[in-house]
Parts: sequence; C-alpha cells; structure tokens
Amino acid sequence: MRSVKYYAATSWGDAVATLAKYPLAKPLAGGSDLLGWIKDDLVGPKEPRWEILVDLRTIEGASGYRYSQGDGLRIGALTPLSTLETAKEIVENYPMLAKAFAAPASPNIRNVGTLGGNINQRPRCWYLRGPEFSCYKKGGDFCFAVTGMNQYHAILDGELCYIVHPSDTAPALLAFDAKAKIVGPRGEKTVPLSEYFIGPRVDVTRETILAHDELMTEIQVPAPQPGVKTAYFKATNRETYDFAIVNVASWLKIKDNLVEDSRIYLSGVAPTPYRATIVEQTIKGKRIDEALARQAADQQMVRARPMSDNAYKVDIAKALIRRALLEAN
Amino acid sequence: MVTTTRPSEKTTHKVIGTRPIRPDGVDKVTGRAIYGADVTLPGLLIGKVLRSPFAHARIRNIDTGAAERLPGVRAVITAADLPDPDKGMADVGEASATYRDLSHNVMARDKALYQGHAVAAVAAESASIAEQALALITVDYEPLPPVLDLVEAMKDDAPLLHEDLRTNELGTLSDKPSNIAAHARFLKGDPAAGFAEADVIVERTYTTTMVHQGYIEPHASTAYWNADGKITIWTTTQAPFAIRDNVAVLLNVPVSRVKVIPTEIGGGFGGKLPPYVEPLAAVLSRKSGAPVKMTMSRTEELQASGPTSGSRTHVKIGAKRDGTIVAVEASLAYEAGAFPGSSVRFGSLCMFAPYDIPNMQLDSYDVVVNKPKVAAYRAPGSPAAMFASESALDELAERLGMDPIELRLKNSAKVGTRMANNIPFQHPVGNVKVLEAIRESDHWRSPLPESTETRKIGRGLAMGFWPNAPLKSSCFATVNPDGSVTLVEGNPDIGGTRASLAMQLAETLGIPYEKVIPQVADTETVGYNDATGGSRTTFTGGIAVYELGQDIKQQLIERARILWQLNPEDAIVYEDGTIRGPKEGQQLSFDQLAAQLFKTGGPVVGRASVSPKHVGFAFGCHVVDLAVDIETGKVEILRYTAAQDVGKAVHPSYVEGQIQGGVAQGIGWALNEEYVYDEQGRLVNASFLDYRMPTSLDLPMIETILVEEPHPPHPFGVRGVGEVPIVPPLAAVANAISHALGHRFTDLPISPRRIIETLYP
Repeated sequence: MRSVKYYAATSWGDAVATLAKYPLAKPLAGGSDLLGWIKDDLVGPKEPRWEILVDLRTIEGASGYRYSQGDGLRIGALTPLSTLETAKEIVENYPMLAKAFAAPASPNIRNVGTLGGNINQRPRCWYLRGPEFSCYKKGGDFCFAVTGMNQYHAILDGELCYIVHPSDTAPALLAFDAKAKIVGPRGEKTVPLSEYFIGPRVDVTRETILAHDELMTEIQVPAPQPGVKTAYFKATNRETYDFAIVNVASWLKIKDNLVEDSRIYLSGVAPTPYRATIVEQTIKGKRIDEALARQAADQQMVRARPMSDNAYKVDIAKALIRRALLEAN
Repeated sequence: MVTTTRPSEKTTHKVIGTRPIRPDGVDKVTGRAIYGADVTLPGLLIGKVLRSPFAHARIRNIDTGAAERLPGVRAVITAADLPDPDKGMADVGEASATYRDLSHNVMARDKALYQGHAVAAVAAESASIAEQALALITVDYEPLPPVLDLVEAMKDDAPLLHEDLRTNELGTLSDKPSNIAAHARFLKGDPAAGFAEADVIVERTYTTTMVHQGYIEPHASTAYWNADGKITIWTTTQAPFAIRDNVAVLLNVPVSRVKVIPTEIGGGFGGKLPPYVEPLAAVLSRKSGAPVKMTMSRTEELQASGPTSGSRTHVKIGAKRDGTIVAVEASLAYEAGAFPGSSVRFGSLCMFAPYDIPNMQLDSYDVVVNKPKVAAYRAPGSPAAMFASESALDELAERLGMDPIELRLKNSAKVGTRMANNIPFQHPVGNVKVLEAIRESDHWRSPLPESTETRKIGRGLAMGFWPNAPLKSSCFATVNPDGSVTLVEGNPDIGGTRASLAMQLAETLGIPYEKVIPQVADTETVGYNDATGGSRTTFTGGIAVYELGQDIKQQLIERARILWQLNPEDAIVYEDGTIRGPKEGQQLSFDQLAAQLFKTGGPVVGRASVSPKHVGFAFGCHVVDLAVDIETGKVEILRYTAAQDVGKAVHPSYVEGQIQGGVAQGIGWALNEEYVYDEQGRLVNASFLDYRMPTSLDLPMIETILVEEPHPPHPFGVRGVGEVPIVPPLAAVANAISHALGHRFTDLPISPRRIIETLYP
C-alpha cells in the first residue's frame, strides 16, 4: 500500500475545513472499506488517488446514541454497528433496526465499522472494485456489467451504471423515515434520508448528495408510533460476511387490521435504496393476506429490468416483499 | 462433539488413541510461532511481482528502466534473469509439471497465459517503493484471444496456448498442436457387452468450476543468496525438499547450494507444493545482494497460485433390475490451467473404485486453458469425478427403487477386486464398513423434519475414495540423559503431525508421549522427506518413527548388555519401556538406562529411512440433511455425518478435525465457491468477500464416525485420513438437494441463483 497522510480531526468544523482545503483528502470512519479501496488503488479520471485521511473518530461526541420517548433516537455517525445492534433502547423500541444493524459483514467488521460508514460506503460492484476496469463510476466510459458478469447487479433503476446499493442499514432507516444531519462549510442542515441518495442519472460518480467537504454527523430516527409493525429480511449466499442479494425493510402502520400507511424499502436491487411505492399503494387501506402480498410484490416487480444473469433476483425480491408484508401483518 | 469410534479388536495401546495436547499448540495460540511472513533478517528488502492484466498475450517487450532508476529500488528482474530449463519432470506432489512449465509459470517468458501471470519482479527498501516501481515497468503486450471454456478449448480450431503442445493420445504423441495435453483411458472388460445386459441406464453430464484451497496463510518466502553462492530460503511450504530440488533446477545450481527452512504453515491442502515466489526472491536477492521477502496478497493467491480444475464429466451407468452394475462409461475433461498437469487421471481412477464393476471404460482429457496452472487440492481429481459418479449412482438407486446404501453394498469392491487400472485391492478396505456404519447411525435412522410449502427438506448420501500416497520419510532421534527423546523429522506440521509422530514413537518405545520432543527440520538437518501431502505424514512418517524406535530399542539393549556385562548370546528383552536381563530382578527403566548412556559409549541416536510400498486406501461415506428455501434459493445444512475408515486413529481429535475440515471445504465447493471469469478471462471475484468459502455459521457441527479397519502393512494399522473427507460432500449435498426439490442438479455450485433459475426458468 502506498503511503498516505493521516490527520486526526478535533471537531466537525476542523474536519470540514481540512476537507475544504485539500481536494485529495478523504474522511475516514471505521476504514474497513476505505483502506481496502486505497490498497487496491482504485483510481480513474473521476476518482482521484486520495492522499490525506481525515480521521473522524477523534471528534468528541461523534460516536454514541441517545433515545427519548419524545424525540426518538439520535445516533452519532461514528458509532460502531456492534454498539447499536445490542443497545437496549434500540432492541426494545426499534427491533427491526437492531436486526438491520446486525446484518452487515461479520462481528469483527461491525466492531470497527460505523453506522455512517455503512450508509456512505461505496458500492460493491466487482468491476468498480477491479483496478483494471475503467468504468463510469471512476470516470471511464463503460459499464462492464451490461455485457459482463451481472448476477449481483441492478434489476431496477439501472441506467448508465448498474451498481446496487450496498447498505444493509439504509433501507431500515428509510422505512423509519430517518433524517441525516449534515455539516459543511456553510453550517449544519438536516435532510430526510429519502433525499440523501442519488442515482447514476444525477451523478454517476457519486451515491449521495454530500459534497467533498460535507459530512454526515448524525442519524435521527422518529419516535416509535403505536400500531406500527416492521420487518427486515436479507437474502445472501452465505450466512455472514456477505452483501445482500436483496434485502427488504418494511414499516406498516395498521389500524383496525387495515394498512393506514407504509414505507417499504429494498437494498441490493437498484443503485440507491429502492422504495417499493407500488407495493405501498397496493396495500393502502387493505388488509394484508397471502394473495394481496403476492399481488403487491408481483406488481412492483413488473418494473424490474433484469440483465443476462440476474433475473433470479427478481424472484427473490418478490419473495422477501411477500414475507415482509406477511410478517408485519 | 458427537463422535463415535468403532475401535479395532485389539486395543492394547497406551498412547495411540489418546488425545494429548499438541507440542506446537502453545506457540500457535500465543502468537509466538513463526509463519512465512514473520521471517525477518538484517537489511531485508521487500519483493513484489508485476502481473499480466491479460489472460492471453504475447510479451513483445518489457522496459524496466524507469523502475530501476527509482530511489530505493535494489533489483528488477524478468524471465531473462532466469535460466530456461529443459522438459524433465518436476516433483510437485500430487500433480505433474515439467521443469520448463514450472519455470514459465513462475515467470512468463514469451507469453502471459493467465491474468495474474508474473511478468517481472522488483526488490525495494519498502513495500511501498516496490509497488511504485511496478507501476513504472512498461510491458508491450499483444493481446490474444483467451481460451476459457473446456469445450471450446478442445475444438480443433481453438486458439492455442502452446504452439508446441501435442496431445499424448493414449500413449502416442499426435502430430497436430492442440490444447488437449493428454487423453488417457482405463479399460476393463467389455463395456458394450455389459451395457447390452443392462435393464436400466443412467446417463448425464456434470460440471464443476475452478475452486481454490483457501488456506488462510498466503504464500510467503524469504531468500538470501549469499556472496559465497549459498541460497537459503525460508518459506511456507508442504514440501521443503521438493522446493529445494525445484529451485535448484529452476536456477541451474546444484541442490547442495540450496537450503530450505520450512516455517510454520497456515494450511496448504496441496496448494503449497509447487514453487511460486521462492525462485523470484532468490534471483532478486542475488541481484541486490540482500535478503528479499515476498508475500502474496489474497488477490494474487486467487489469480495466480494453484487452484483446482473446473471439470466436465459425462457418466453412463448400466445396471440390472436387481441393482447389479454391469457396465460404466465415463469421459472426464479437466482444466489444467495454463500448463498441462491436471489430476484428471486420478479422478477417473477414483470414481468407481468403491465398487466391483466388471466392465469399465474411463476416458480422461487434460486440457490447457487461460487460467492459473492448477495444483493439487485435497484428494486431487477425486471430488469432481465422484460428484459425477456418486450423483449418477444416487439416480440409479432412485430409478431402481433401491436404498442407496443397499445399492452400494450390493456392488461393493472387496479384497481381490481390480480397480479401473487393473490393480487389485490387496489388503482389507473399509468401504463396506463405512456404509454399514452410516446405515446403523443415529442420523440415518432419524426421520427427516417435515418440509413446508417453501422450505423443502432432503437427505443425500455419497461415498468417497482416495488411494493416498506413501512416498519417502526419514528421521532420527536422540535419547537424552533425562529420558526424553528428541525427534527430528522433515514434514511441515499442517494437521498435528508433530503430535501423531511423537505418539507413535512413544508407543513404540513404551514411554510417555510428553517424553518425545518432536521438531521439524530444514533440508540440511534431516534426510529427504517427501511432502506433507497425500495423507502420508502420519502413515509413512509413522512407519519411519516405528523403525527408528526399533533401532533405539536395539541400541539400548546393547547398552544394557555393557552395563550388566552380559555376553552377546544372553537374552535381553525390551518391553513397555523396561529393559530386562536374564537374571531375576535384572531390569532398568527407560529413564534409568538413559541416565547411564554416557557411561556406556555416549548418547544413543536412532535413525530410519523408509519407502513403504503398500499404502492404505481411504474410504468415506457421508450423509447430509438440508433444507432449501425455494423462494430465496438458500440451502441450510441441518445435519451432517461422516463415516470414514481411518485404519487406526492415532490422535482421534485430529482425525475428527481432518474429517470436519474436509467436509467444510466440500460443502463450500458444492454450494458457493466458484471462480468467476469474465469473457476476457479476468477473475472478477478475487477476494474472500466475493469468493465465498463457508463460515462456521454456514455449517452445523459435523458428526464423525471413525471406523477402524486396520491397514496390515502399517505397524499400528494406520491409513491416511486427511484427503478423502473432501470427496463425498459434493455429491451428498447435490443428492440431498435433488431429493428435496425433485430435480437433479448436475452443475456446481448449487448457489441460490442456480436454484432459483432452475425452479423458475
């Protein structure tokens, strides 16, 4: 691995100023993905060789969480996933979130991997991750997945680039309508997570709205509501240390056995976390049963545009949507 | 742990069959053991390899000038810095290669033949400088069409990897260049006549993809080419003597100039038999005048070490209505990778070895493709071949309405049965006993859980065979005044062989296990030893320490004769660690005599060198219960039981560990592991994240049944145990999935994608 400079940030302002000053600086959280990225020397016309790592873990208060019945849950972006998956307040009040926090990678990686890192990690596409492939994301002019090996690529919303969103936690947080607190040179702002991710049609080289000198500092999850039922499913090749073939997080507000409101998100199927709006519309005001769950899942996946090797993901996505609806019922 | 041992009749052993702590255990769990990458020397440089990005390309020119000028770079080499050896056959364990192929694999000469093929190497003052230097080397490639598919590679008009490669067609060299290196055949009886008698014929084609051994420690070697011409190599290897011999030929120096010091080894499974970075580190050291360490990354391991072949096997089995198998035919094609030498012939020999079949024709094809040169992998050749044969037998049992165990018992080979190569079983084998052990097991007798609408349950069974390899072992030992015995042997300890050899020597001498202090020596300290491979170390090494023990006993008897001032004809007996003279009460314990050795002529040093002819064949029978989620394609292994004929379990815990490890690798091969190449021959999943070996969470506790059918030529009845347990899982898992889903799965891996694509075409 080539040498890089290391800078331990002392505050969010310090981190932002450092990033603003150095175009080749990159924020470092757990480092479980970023260091591998640098070791593999993944560079291209739009993907520079990072020279400075700005460590965010040294910022006081960046890690940790607090919960209150009124305000809900606030999680520092630098909090390790292993802290969150076992936190009593989360397990008791947001069991589906606890499940999602325990889903990524392996226990060892979750000990260093942070929530912010999980949400902001780069995609796992094996062409993006291959130094020899100059793909759109790195500033090249080709998507190798379209004509190549695409069994793990997008079945929905692919355009130009067919990555899938890699985060196990993002769909769960989105189902809870979480917000992200962002700090930048012009101060702080809070945005709904539903407006945080951007697809290839907006900017193929990025996956979020964050500018080079902006940082996610906190995730805010609204307080639990009565009558809400949630579910989370992740389909993988292997039991642990694996990215999702498909995962589904569902949040259903049920009143008198009827679906009053819902948010259903999938990861692993599209370049951004994918909201299953057709499912939500199909079940609204209805009582969920096997037939409705099947109808909703099938109608949603009419939208799917699988490639040569990934049609099986459509079947798995349908199954997980059905399961999420029926479990929440 | 659920383990059943079915002990042999005679259990008079005091040490063999117990479970003591391994001598190397404390160093390993406390991190003190020195593995390949831990070696360090004054002035050490770091070496790195530049690898071809192309799967198939002519190398027109390599410009190393800029790299050489980079400050901190001490040497840059290409194939021009290596001699070009002749085509003599090299010893690379349970696989084959010519020295020339070995050399061209270590460093590409005129053509790069797979992605990751080494084309140049540098030594620099840091890893970072070495990497920068690699980026400064300019290689002028002429890309050629890659040959990646077995069927395509075998066609007459396929692009050629080697313009001078001619097919060895049943022993005769053909005159036309081809990617088929060899076509071999085992023929027994009259298959056509046999099939004419068949009532039922099962016929299918099976495929597997290239998979890797996945040893946890990557290759790591340090070489120092001293100014006096001596080359010392510290390396993680299964075969220090073969590495010494191969490096000597590859560098064109006498064997006496090369010393190989094996480090501790973190797994090998056959993948650490051939040389990779050793010769490069040596040449870099000569050029720089400093010691050079080279380690391979996981990506380099997957791209450019020695995985095992992808395969395509066509099988046809004919049987009578009562289950008597009358004829079999098979045609196997294995990927050799970039150079000839796959284990396809072993595969064809193994596939029907558990059975007595009168008529057989087994054709095998060794085919070069633009992928890494394959190396041995645990029972090399057998798993893919027996995936085909044992799947076909399962289907035959189904078609006949027969119990799969009864079908196999009805056709079982016995002493005298000739294998496909016409060699008869000369000694008792455990194929029937392992089938009976499974039939009587709690697992086989337990009912399966009920299937649900989306979770389908199946049970599968399969046999495995591996002949094992005896080869050569030598060792010596010194009796110390305190009664301890220092054993010096030459096999790197992968699976607990310090313990298993110390136990056999302790048993032979009638002394406690703790009194034997084993150590693995370098190539200048002990006589020649073949590799830790072929399931041979506890077997052949055991014979060696037994012979060594006899030598020590004889010498101790002579020392007692001196002490007691007896005549040569006076009877002295050595029994259970006690030496008795002819007179009443005339006896010395081992310790008492050891304490007096210096008074009787100095220390006693025993030695042995053995090359046994009669190896014990290994058989296993496995059964697996699993659940298939038909909506996600995920397979969950619910229960797994492996019965194996181990001859005699010297250290039962380590035997169980070998079986469990083999099963884990076999299950990975069956369900998830695969090399994924794109159409240009680029390996897209060259990491442990994307190349999915099973984790502990993917496996249940694997139950073992140790069947002990002693192998008579071994003093304790031992037969090799390490390799055969990887053979049955492929077919056992596939058969279980087939029963769960009512569909025959013939292509591995049976991943979620494969299951979903099959169920919802």
